[in-house]
Amino acid sequence: MDVREGPSDAEVVARVLGGDREAFGLIVRRYESGLLRFATRVLGGRDAAADAVAESLVRAYRHLASCRDPTRLRTWLYRIVANRCKSHLARRATGDVSLDDAPPIADPTDNEAALERVEQLAVVEQALATLSSEKREAFVLKHVEGMSYQEMAAVTGERIPTLKMRVHRAREALLKALEDRS
Amino acid sequence: MNSIDPRVHQALDGEIPREALPPALRRVAERLESAAALLAAAPEGRSVADRVLARLHRHAHSPVRRLARWLTAPHPVTLRIRPVWSLALAASLVLLMLLPEERSTPVLGEHEGIAQFVARFPGAHSVQVVGSFNDWRTGTIPLEDRDGDGVWRAVVVLPAGAHEYMFVVDDERWVPDYSANRFVEDDFGRENSVLIVRPVKG
Repeated sequence: MDVREGPSDAEVVARVLGGDREAFGLIVRRYESGLLRFATRVLGGRDAAADAVAESLVRAYRHLASCRDPTRLRTWLYRIVANRCKSHLARRATGDVSLDDAPPIADPTDNEAALERVEQLAVVEQALATLSSEKREAFVLKHVEGMSYQEMAAVTGERIPTLKMRVHRAREALLKALEDRS
Repeated sequence: MNSIDPRVHQALDGEIPREALPPALRRVAERLESAAALLAAAPEGRSVADRVLARLHRHAHSPVRRLARWLTAPHPVTLRIRPVWSLALAASLVLLMLLPEERSTPVLGEHEGIAQFVARFPGAHSVQVVGSFNDWRTGTIPLEDRDGDGVWRAVVVLPAGAHEYMFVVDDERWVPDYSANRFVEDDFGRENSVLIVRPVKG
């Protein structure tokens, strides 16, 4: 079932705040894949990303009453995860990501094209890991999560011109890193 | 760093149509888009739903929470008192009322202090304080404005240490205490006020 079907975010939030704790599961299932993808790209590791997302969702539940505009729940959740990722990177003392998780393993039944995709993905992941955490976050929000600059501003708390400049620089840095690897 | 032609940025930002790009620039845009598409399509790892819901379940069923819920939920109470005991109870109540008022002062623990919250919200119908000390739950510490002058007050006993807090006005507006000496940005990009409670028996 597509979890985007069914009640709106505002309706689900109202149910949770009304005491229906199980309804929060709907929010988790609706947004966890995007949040995990975002955190994985920013942190560079799936385990660290899972920790950050799980912790963020628990915090989101506890502070749900302070979500001023439940119709913008998605950007509110991304904001919490973005801040968790920043804290995580700050604890690592460097903004560099370590690609500590094993790369995706191709299934033996995969065809040649699929194997090639896995290799291409590894190259892109390595190139993305060379960007600063700010540029990485900006590129992923814009191009992987498909957010508008306005949504990105809500997630990061930055001004739109700052974000535009950051995305432009991220594209240039990523392109160079890709060319270095080709 | 390689400089990308501004037209590529414009096309990627949807400001000009892709068709307006010459072939060489279109290839640059496509290179970046295909990289993003690979990142978007990659598996994002295990679901965290079970983990999150299990933690919420534990949170809701912890003994402290169960006790707090039991204490705050209304319960029908029936008292059956024998006449002789009811006389003794009445006598005790009279004695309690005659005791000096100092006796009603809360007994503070070694690591507790008194916090006074004062906020000016003229025209507000309700003001409460939420913070790290009450798990940011509304409905637990209301402020009072007995004389209707718009100045709301509450005095509570809190554990000694630093506490983050905000005021909730009319059940919907979350406002920091602008008279606080310290502020800290929370995970939601807002500023929380910080209160330092010193132990009375320090």
